[in-house]
Amino acid sequence: MATHADTLEHGHYHPPGLQHQFEDMKQQEESVSIGMWMFLVQEIMFFGGLFTVYLVFRSKFPMAFAAGSNHLDAFWGGLNTLVLIVSSLTMALTVYYAQKGNRNMQVILIILTMFFGAVFLGVKTIEYGDKYKHGFVPVTGWNKKIKADPAASHESGKPCWEVDHAAAEVEHPNPRGEFQWKDCSLVKQAVDEHEHDPKKTTLTVSEQNGYFSNGQIDVDKFRDKVRIFFWIYFVMTGLHALHMIVGLGLMTWLLWKAFRGTFSHEYFAPVEMSGLYWHFVDIVWIFLFPLLYLLGRHFMH
Amino acid sequence: MSEKHIESGEGHIGIPGYLGIFLVLVVGTILTYVVATVDLDFIFPGANTLVALLIAFTKMTCVMLFFMHVYWSPKLIWLSAIASFFWLAIMFAYTMQDYLTRGTGVFAA
Repeated sequence: MATHADTLEHGHYHPPGLQHQFEDMKQQEESVSIGMWMFLVQEIMFFGGLFTVYLVFRSKFPMAFAAGSNHLDAFWGGLNTLVLIVSSLTMALTVYYAQKGNRNMQVILIILTMFFGAVFLGVKTIEYGDKYKHGFVPVTGWNKKIKADPAASHESGKPCWEVDHAAAEVEHPNPRGEFQWKDCSLVKQAVDEHEHDPKKTTLTVSEQNGYFSNGQIDVDKFRDKVRIFFWIYFVMTGLHALHMIVGLGLMTWLLWKAFRGTFSHEYFAPVEMSGLYWHFVDIVWIFLFPLLYLLGRHFMH
Repeated sequence: MSEKHIESGEGHIGIPGYLGIFLVLVVGTILTYVVATVDLDFIFPGANTLVALLIAFTKMTCVMLFFMHVYWSPKLIWLSAIASFFWLAIMFAYTMQDYLTRGTGVFAA
């Protein structure tokens, strides 16, 4: 038992931060950890539900998923992956310095973690803005409204596998802000491969029914399948971004506590638990990046 | 010394260790991107996805063991972490054993 007179409370020593229902710091630390892990387990389960939806629809319509994925920007997605990894490192170091009771390093590293979290959300905003401009938001009316212009050269009248992505906005009018998808080149590619070598079938039965009308590629039917991909994209990345915002809130609180010198060798559980949350959000992105951004890259020739 | 650290929940790999894990994660990310651009369908259809997931699992294991300190945690934490993936596997397996046997998905004849 320590004998510091100033930490004596009803006759026995209390380390700073020890709640009364716990015997000692070790018991408190273990209880707090197991509580946090139970929370993370249910987080894994509810992200898991979304991954299940992804699994079901991708197994039915792999080409539509590849087409949608190839229109996400792998550069921004990859950059964000690196940004989150750096923020995970600064978070891990925050915990390290909290355990050492180094106040200044904690404050610096928490600010860095928040900075990288904010960069992540900034990049996400750029990406969402791009989807808005191109009509990839799967909700009617939530996309940029582009008036039909009779003076346009009607590039959009081309077959759906020759769509020019560099064409001016006016070539792809979208007066009601609907979900837009005009490119069926991956389906065409699969059909051509099948004609070239009938034994080679790359379309699933769901796709053979789901992309064609009267034996012809039906770009509107294909669009509806790509739309499912973008629903999943927005729900999963949106929920992930929401977790980032909550994480930034946690960091703000942590910054205040650390600034006041709350944490020491004996009491650092809030830093450690916030760290667990932050790393969990990083792990979700580690899976979202390849599954959303890169799944169809190898089809690009 | 290390025993004492485990008891006070203070296990960690030190700053060089943290930087090492960070490096593994960065290399993993770059590798994920590079492998995704190579067509591995000649091995079997979907090989790309499998490789991507293997890298992602490796990265996740690094984060969980060392950044999240599972390696130095009590058995109960290990159990929670592993059990969550067990439940996840049940959800995936029982869902897909329905969808994949309807004969319309990616593994249809």
